[in-house]
Amino acid sequence: MFKAMRQPTLQTMGLGNVSDIFRRGALPADAGELVDRVFGKSNERGSLVISGSNGIVGAGKTMQLGSRLQPFGVRMVGLDFPGTSDGIGRQYPGLVQAFGREGADRIMGNIVRLTYDGRSLPAELNALKPRFLLEAIPEILEIKKAHYRIFREAFPGIEIRSVTSGFPSSELGVGIAHPAFPHEINKVWEIVESEPSAITQLFWALGLIPLTVSDHWSFVLDVLFCGVTLAGLRVHRASNMPFWKVDKLTRKLLGPNPFRAHDAIGSKGADFLTWSCLHHLSQKYGELFRPTPELEERKETGQAWYPPDHFRPLVDWVLSAEEQDEFRVRILGPMFQMTSLMLHEQRGHYAHLNAIGELCAQFRRGILCMMRDLGPAAVIGTVEAYHLLHPEAAKQSWHPDALAKMDTPDWQQLYVNAEHDGEVGVVTISRESYSWDVDRELNRALDWLKRERIGKVIVTGDFHISTQMVGADTSDFFSALGDVEDGLSITTGWPATARRLNDEFAVSVGFVAGKRCLGGMLELLAHCHHVVAVEDARFGWPEVTLPVVPGMEGCHWPFRKAGRDHWPKLLQMLLTGDSVKARDAVGWLIDYAGPLEEALRIAWKVAAGGDHALPRRALDAGALDRVPQDVSGMPAADGPAAEAARKAIVDCVRDSCRAPLSEALAIQAKHAAGFLTTTACREGRVGAEFARTMTA
Amino acid sequence: MKKAPQMFPDARIPYGTWGSSYFPAWQTSALAEVNIGQFAGESMARILGLRKVPKSELEYLVIGSTIPWHWKFWTAPLVASCMGHRLPGYHVEQACATGLQAVLLGGAEVQSGSKDVVGVLTFDRTSDSPVGVFPERRAHQRTMAIADVWDNFGFDPATGRAMITAAGITSRKYKVDRREVDEVAYLRHLRYFEAKESGFLARVLVPLDVLNVAGRPLGRVDDDLGVRRLTLGALRAQRELDTCVTGGTQTHASDGMATLLVTSREKARALSPRPEVDIQFVGKAEVRTQPSLMPEAPAFAVQELLKRTGLAMDDMAVVKNHNPFAANDVIFTKITGYDWRKMNNTGCPLVWGHPQGPTLTRVLIEALEEATDLGGGYVLIFGCAAGDVGIAALFKVS
Repeated sequence: MFKAMRQPTLQTMGLGNVSDIFRRGALPADAGELVDRVFGKSNERGSLVISGSNGIVGAGKTMQLGSRLQPFGVRMVGLDFPGTSDGIGRQYPGLVQAFGREGADRIMGNIVRLTYDGRSLPAELNALKPRFLLEAIPEILEIKKAHYRIFREAFPGIEIRSVTSGFPSSELGVGIAHPAFPHEINKVWEIVESEPSAITQLFWALGLIPLTVSDHWSFVLDVLFCGVTLAGLRVHRASNMPFWKVDKLTRKLLGPNPFRAHDAIGSKGADFLTWSCLHHLSQKYGELFRPTPELEERKETGQAWYPPDHFRPLVDWVLSAEEQDEFRVRILGPMFQMTSLMLHEQRGHYAHLNAIGELCAQFRRGILCMMRDLGPAAVIGTVEAYHLLHPEAAKQSWHPDALAKMDTPDWQQLYVNAEHDGEVGVVTISRESYSWDVDRELNRALDWLKRERIGKVIVTGDFHISTQMVGADTSDFFSALGDVEDGLSITTGWPATARRLNDEFAVSVGFVAGKRCLGGMLELLAHCHHVVAVEDARFGWPEVTLPVVPGMEGCHWPFRKAGRDHWPKLLQMLLTGDSVKARDAVGWLIDYAGPLEEALRIAWKVAAGGDHALPRRALDAGALDRVPQDVSGMPAADGPAAEAARKAIVDCVRDSCRAPLSEALAIQAKHAAGFLTTTACREGRVGAEFARTMTA
Repeated sequence: MKKAPQMFPDARIPYGTWGSSYFPAWQTSALAEVNIGQFAGESMARILGLRKVPKSELEYLVIGSTIPWHWKFWTAPLVASCMGHRLPGYHVEQACATGLQAVLLGGAEVQSGSKDVVGVLTFDRTSDSPVGVFPERRAHQRTMAIADVWDNFGFDPATGRAMITAAGITSRKYKVDRREVDEVAYLRHLRYFEAKESGFLARVLVPLDVLNVAGRPLGRVDDDLGVRRLTLGALRAQRELDTCVTGGTQTHASDGMATLLVTSREKARALSPRPEVDIQFVGKAEVRTQPSLMPEAPAFAVQELLKRTGLAMDDMAVVKNHNPFAANDVIFTKITGYDWRKMNNTGCPLVWGHPQGPTLTRVLIEALEEATDLGGGYVLIFGCAAGDVGIAALFKVS
């Protein structure tokens, strides 16, 4: 029996669910097998051709895929016109930084670079046995189609994917693998295909994040990113507000700064792509998407959106309350309307739609998450207010009925899902950082498991959208910088959720499959009865470097579960931010570290009650005495802020450890919330981020 | 309202689409540290935004300034770029007449039929004015350097005399009474503060926030800094610098910008928040009087304008002028018989300073606003300009 709050996102790729991964003790797909399926067995291994390989997308993806496929002996072929500037060579310093000189040379040495005239393919290509073409050539439909034709004629059966950001698969006649900027490192690909393919599964197995979306004009990322750009353009057009200020206020409201992003990507190419997406969207969906004359002009000229340095802005735009409200409506109104359209068209899993904004378009919180917070009435009110300002947009592509699903688990569980097999529950977190949204969803997931009478639970990443656990979302601390009550609501609320893992389940297992588990996420999982991790995962509390004081009981809970001998190590981690490898943390911070499949099996055994021989470390609920107050030989703090943070952490450790468990939560909450209001914190990274983002 | 000819029958000034910065005295505000052309362009975008006029409506830009600013070679197109809108246009300069002349040229542009919406933007920064270095082969120094503002005020190359000397000479010619000049200055200050306290000035002046190069706040320009409440006693006590000229009865250097639109009739109705208000160009006159008698020149220009239009001073609803010296207003009364007490009801450049380029634009904006409050009527604007010039223009608000 399998039951889930909502569909696990792995299912969208034909990869089952997370419970199965633990039950089987293995991932649902193996990169080696999938390489064989896509590129042929090792003795007949074919190659991956990236056409347009000197462009921003092509070169970035040549690096990203090349570094992952080189160990499997898959040759990379970079194909472009003669005379194009060397986009691949420019990637070399970045490769060296990531893989070292030897690794970078190996990856570059695996790339064959060919030129062609656009009409016929180079003869050398035959020997390289192309099996998969990733097309990254200009956004001109007929050119793309002709390109596929010559490849299919030369290499029948070749798999083709287009990186297009606008044309649907039905127009192109090939599948879509639409990547996100920055192309070297962003792992997200929007995938359009009728059935999950081996290519998509291979991408997943290589550690990338394929997100399936429907086959419509422009995909989710471009509706969101081009959409927010267009909303900004309309603000500019209506109010004369300069683009830099539109950016600042948009960043404050949503997260992205679309005009700076266009300039950073390269305004000429980016402007054309944005125009192209909006142009095609407007042809299908009407005025909501109509590009403004400013964009029409820039797609021709490539003129930057920001002024040159010698004309850095002089006159600020300090908005009245009325102007602020209009700005909000002009940005959020169209974004909500566009999202209603995407929901109406069922463009993807709700978690996908939400995550794409966060992972690819700089949204601080996904668009569905924002809409959920407001509720359907306020969302409809915002769109209707927008229609008063832009009546043409009301005529088409507005689907308020799509908001009716807001109360369903699909929409309510964007970041946290829960599954169970009748015995063991698996809670998956698909967000890398802990936030109020994650906290609320986690509580709902735990409530659901309780209602389902599930007493054993594994808490883990989702093996898909989240590839690591990096700690708390510090943007949730912004309001706490000036209001200790806001801080207290975090430092009492979040650990109260974490304690449920210890208090309300017979067995709870925290599982770490990614590269790291830090800060608030570590504090969360530390509340589980057991923590199981892959051996190379790193654990740490980098809070002191921000600086903040750990506020989810990191200052006393781990001490209560570790032997006295290990307390100096815990204190050192807290005071330096240094991390420790999983295999070195067994017995005092975590309970097991091993290869992935072994770790999966152990986690399942522990949760399901199998024979695992993993003792549960006791939690000392009394007052701890003689907890160290300093660490010998520790390097000096990096400046007065870090020194203040160290002192605050030591105070928090001392006071919360020497209290009984029943009182410790409130004590650590007071310390952590209090520190958020200090000068040291406000002048640190959280304060700087707040100033940069929220004081437009 | 008596009928009069129209100078530009197809041109209008759309009510309420205008605005001016405050005019802080030189070296007292963040404006001392800006490229004033850039500041003016960005400020115009902000002001038009506040007035709900998309800058995309603009088709042409006439800019006016008198003090060289960095990159002024690029004139109106550059300022338009700073506004964020690529427009053609040109630069006009006529000392203190610039602000009025630019508006009139905007009207001519519309009347010519070539454009329907012309932006007029005037500005100047007297603070830290540039120093020009000129090869002068016939001078014994061979090369001469002059500070643009102060060296020009102090020396009319055509006469060899300073502006202030001209004020003294003209005051002596008309036997102006120092006490009356002090009364003018006192009343003008009184009216200014009344207009400020009533909220009138806040309707035409826009607070502007200036950023430094790092994007951090450098200062808010939200006051005519340097304007003080004066008592008659204090004015009387001031030392005379020349006949009838004291520190209190002459203007001061300041920085600022002012902007308005000139459009076709149809566009004025479309862009104005009060389309029922119709503002027309009636006429203009300009004269040059005898050397070093600049303060009398505006009165002659007004007389010529009235003669040409068939109107009389009593037909005027609002009369305002650029008066660098309080003596100008007394001399105007002596020549025309029009009581100076009936003019400048909301203040004037004598009070709030003299940034040159935008001075008469702000005067005009205040006058049009005042005339609208009064329910319409003729608006007479005039002033003096370097070279013993007087300029006058008439507008009709209905």
